[in-house]
Amino acid sequence: MKKLLLIPILAATANVAGASIPINGFIESKCVIQSDTPGMFGNPTVDKLSTKAADGGVMPIIRYDIVTASKYKAVITTPTDFSTAPNLSDSVEWTSTTVAGQMSDSEMSVFNSDKAIYNNGHTTEFDLVKAGSVWFNVTSEAEYGYGKAFPSGSYTALIVAECIAK
Amino acid sequence: MRLLVLLLLLIGGYANAHQFTPTYPKLELSHMPGIMKADMVLFNDRKEIRYYEVNVFDKEWNPVRFATQSKIIPINYKERKYLTIYLSGKGIKRAKYICSKSKILMTVTKPSIVSSRICSKIK
Repeated sequence: MKKLLLIPILAATANVAGASIPINGFIESKCVIQSDTPGMFGNPTVDKLSTKAADGGVMPIIRYDIVTASKYKAVITTPTDFSTAPNLSDSVEWTSTTVAGQMSDSEMSVFNSDKAIYNNGHTTEFDLVKAGSVWFNVTSEAEYGYGKAFPSGSYTALIVAECIAK
Repeated sequence: MRLLVLLLLLIGGYANAHQFTPTYPKLELSHMPGIMKADMVLFNDRKEIRYYEVNVFDKEWNPVRFATQSKIIPINYKERKYLTIYLSGKGIKRAKYICSKSKILMTVTKPSIVSSRICSKIK
């Protein structure tokens, strides 16, 4: 009889007793590079390939997530050659721009005012002095010869997005 | 502005990320005398990327000799890989940056137009 009485007491105790399971997290300084919008060349004139929307292209957008400020610099290098293309007999002239567009913090506008451009305008370096997310807009234009028509075929060029610890 | 950014984060359908941590790896003693090691973590969130290359450089960006399981790392989408970089001799003093770079297969032309490289600094 006594044993039978113990059963509900034990059952009640079992309901009350519970193990607390911790969820641990650790935020470390890091830089994440995201290829947010893949670029696409438009062909507005026979001698030109361009990622500008006005030229029928799609502007590549690269997003950087910065967890801790002033730990990294972003270095974005635009193409100076095609990685895949039909056989080209004449020279190609490349022009490009890289700017910080959308940003999670308005103070990130300092990225644009303090950027350094080198390598004939093909490499842009941004000091990531603010934490948050920033979207870099890249335009790239290729002009073939002197008004020469690009041969038909598939063209691919590569942007190199780097995040380098300071 | 922040709301717009948040919305973009939430509805942004296409996102591909590359992570390489820690930012400042520390060289530690390995199980072999005279060999130091650094432990790194690579995370691939880029759908079109299946390989990354690891390299070590000095402060002038000259390559430094190192050893690891494989310089070219095959990695699946959403996979995390733990890498150990081994350095010996002069390389221990010279090594300044450990970098991982996405490798794009020639067969991939869309959507990959961006090659990503993240470099950690040995302090």
